[in-house]
Amino acid sequence: MTAGPEPALPAGPAGLAPPGGPDAAAPVTGRPRRQGSYSLAARDRRFGYGLVAPAVIVLAAITAFPLVYNLWNSFHNADYLFPTTFGNVAGFRNYSQMFTGGQFLPSLYRTLGFTAVSVAVEFVIGLALALALSRKFVGRGIVRAAILIPWAVPTVVSGLLWKSMFDPQNGFVNYILTELHLPLAHTTWLGQTWTAWGAILIADAWRNTPFMALLLLAGLQVIPRDVYEAAKIDGAGTIRTFRRITLPMLKPAIMVALIFRTLSSFLIFDIVYAMTNGGPGDSTQVLAYQNWFAMNSEENYGLGAAISVALMVMSLIIAAIYVTAFRAEQNV
Amino acid sequence: MRRDTPRRISWPGSRRGLCVAAVATTGAIALAACGSSSPSGAAGKQVPASAKQTIVFATQGLGSEGTATMTAVKAFEKLHSNIKVQILSLSPTSDVAFEQLSQRFTAGSSTPDVITSDVIWPAQFAQSGWLANLAKFHPDTSAYFPGQMATGQYKGGVYAIPWFINAEGLYYRTDLIKTPPTTTAALVSDAQAAMKKDHSLKEGLAFEGDKYEGAVTAFQSMGGQLSPSVLSNIDTSANASVLTFMSDAIHKYHIAPSAVSTWEESQVQDAWLSGQTPFALNWPYIFALSDGTGCKPGCNPVFGKTGWVPFPSQTGSAQASLGGDDLAVNAKSTHQAAAWEFIQYLSSDSAQDARAISAGDPPSVKSAYNSQLYAAAPFFKQEQAVYAAATPRPVTPVYTQISSQLQVMISSVLSGSSTASAALSSTAPTVKQLLATVASGG
Repeated sequence: MTAGPEPALPAGPAGLAPPGGPDAAAPVTGRPRRQGSYSLAARDRRFGYGLVAPAVIVLAAITAFPLVYNLWNSFHNADYLFPTTFGNVAGFRNYSQMFTGGQFLPSLYRTLGFTAVSVAVEFVIGLALALALSRKFVGRGIVRAAILIPWAVPTVVSGLLWKSMFDPQNGFVNYILTELHLPLAHTTWLGQTWTAWGAILIADAWRNTPFMALLLLAGLQVIPRDVYEAAKIDGAGTIRTFRRITLPMLKPAIMVALIFRTLSSFLIFDIVYAMTNGGPGDSTQVLAYQNWFAMNSEENYGLGAAISVALMVMSLIIAAIYVTAFRAEQNV
Repeated sequence: MRRDTPRRISWPGSRRGLCVAAVATTGAIALAACGSSSPSGAAGKQVPASAKQTIVFATQGLGSEGTATMTAVKAFEKLHSNIKVQILSLSPTSDVAFEQLSQRFTAGSSTPDVITSDVIWPAQFAQSGWLANLAKFHPDTSAYFPGQMATGQYKGGVYAIPWFINAEGLYYRTDLIKTPPTTTAALVSDAQAAMKKDHSLKEGLAFEGDKYEGAVTAFQSMGGQLSPSVLSNIDTSANASVLTFMSDAIHKYHIAPSAVSTWEESQVQDAWLSGQTPFALNWPYIFALSDGTGCKPGCNPVFGKTGWVPFPSQTGSAQASLGGDDLAVNAKSTHQAAAWEFIQYLSSDSAQDARAISAGDPPSVKSAYNSQLYAAAPFFKQEQAVYAAATPRPVTPVYTQISSQLQVMISSVLSGSSTASAALSSTAPTVKQLLATVASGG
């Protein structure tokens, strides 16, 4: 476990560690020198390295290694259908296959479109929820806990739940529409492109809006009361207070909520998998679905790795855009 | 790790590494499977069948199927007191079970020793080198229905042995339909007439059209041609007419609800058992639910009114998409001899009949269709006619990819977003290319 940064340090001064000290495991070489020749700061630093080493090693094992390995796979043949060429260098073939497959770009556009719409919808509803929940009313604690329930339901479960709700003959949605004599009561929701997307959006919003609301609510809590009182004294109305005080002061929380939701919406998989399996036709196939299919159905880990590297790069770009925008705001 | 290999054909520890990559990138649940990698590339030293040992049997099946498996395992352990069989439960959802198995194989695990394999998997698993060639045990391949036996034969080897057969056929209500239709035109007019006469019927024909494997079997059972010669160009007039019929049943004849484009077997089953449709396309397990043991007259609206025939053909001879499960042995298993003993036991007439009677799983062994079986479950007589028409899906390692293309094709036609001819002409080149890739590199 001491294979962390410690061997990189010169053996000389390290050899003077007192027995039982933080780096007792370091090799003791050479003749002991005067006590004062190694500084307290260096000792502290080494002790610090020792303390973070386990965390760094765990992180490296579960984050860095798979990432690097995945990158490595994306440049190699890792298709179990071809055992004889398995492991050979593939250059950019996996990446070119990703584009020539003809599904990557359409899936990318669908994913981006869905991300934009779902994040916008969830933000607006989430903000409204957060504002409502920040007010004082009887049973607030219970309501706050209750809105989190959808978020606590596993995504696949909520996908299957909504799939059965949207069932055209026995589902709850059409039942309600029929009872209330509303239009669309005989819609095969998951059987047509746009209604299927609508159903996915509803299921996704149902599950993720509470998360958005929770983050925004936390942001609202830290806005000092006295600012509102001052605004009230100055005669600012509700809308003006919201635009001039709440929104600007909520910006950090909004940014965090948007980054989280945008990234996880961009990587949407489980709800689509459970509700439509990419159908009807290929109209709801998203990027993560392509990734899953390449890895788990085609057994082509090279192609799958290429797609996931592309997903990762795009996620990083999205995050970078947000962070840059946030910084620009802060510096104004 | 083969350190003596001069060229790096495969890299050391590759499979375990891939597993980690898979976990990282897809959030897969394979961690458990990744741990049990076998140290050597090939199967280790084989344990003789006579030694005391435990074999692991990975299988699907809940309820009566699960009970039937347990009964069979107990009977086998009684006959072979030195062999214990440990059951590893796989997901009842076929696609998930596929992933559970392939993740273990990818990790190079020596267990499970025996697996239950859907008939469409052996070619892909064998191509990847994950299944043991059972030819060394000299199996009697003529004992099984030939369509299903073919699903386990790949590149001259025998990689899977049929366990129980399944084929998809047309259920018809014997009280509403006097003689089962032999043409699709007659099917449409019969369905329309029945709906007109009996207003409690919600639809005339139920079939599964959701975007999943079932859409492909429905297409094939209705006459879709997927033989090796057709696959190089699936854009044929026969396939166009089948696809058009599927779409017309919904949009033109209005015998199938538009909901079938999202239905899977279970919704078709519900439609049939609730008595809301005179025709339904489904697998033989329906018999066990409508007329099986424990069911008395009146226990469901269709008791004693269930007839089953191959779906009427538009193109010549009727065909019934072949399903069912095979048994196969892990190439890395060190208990292959005991595994083979177990497979042989499951293929015996008595074990096959016992499973058929208690769980409704139709025997894959022809000689198991005997008076003993008919006495207990007479409906198996009807089933035989459908199994005679059983047609396997393409036996190719790229079946998963081909099926995915077909699912998109069928689903887009059923949802009305594409015409049959447009969908066929856009899918045909992709399927051809998939076959070419595996032919060039395999």
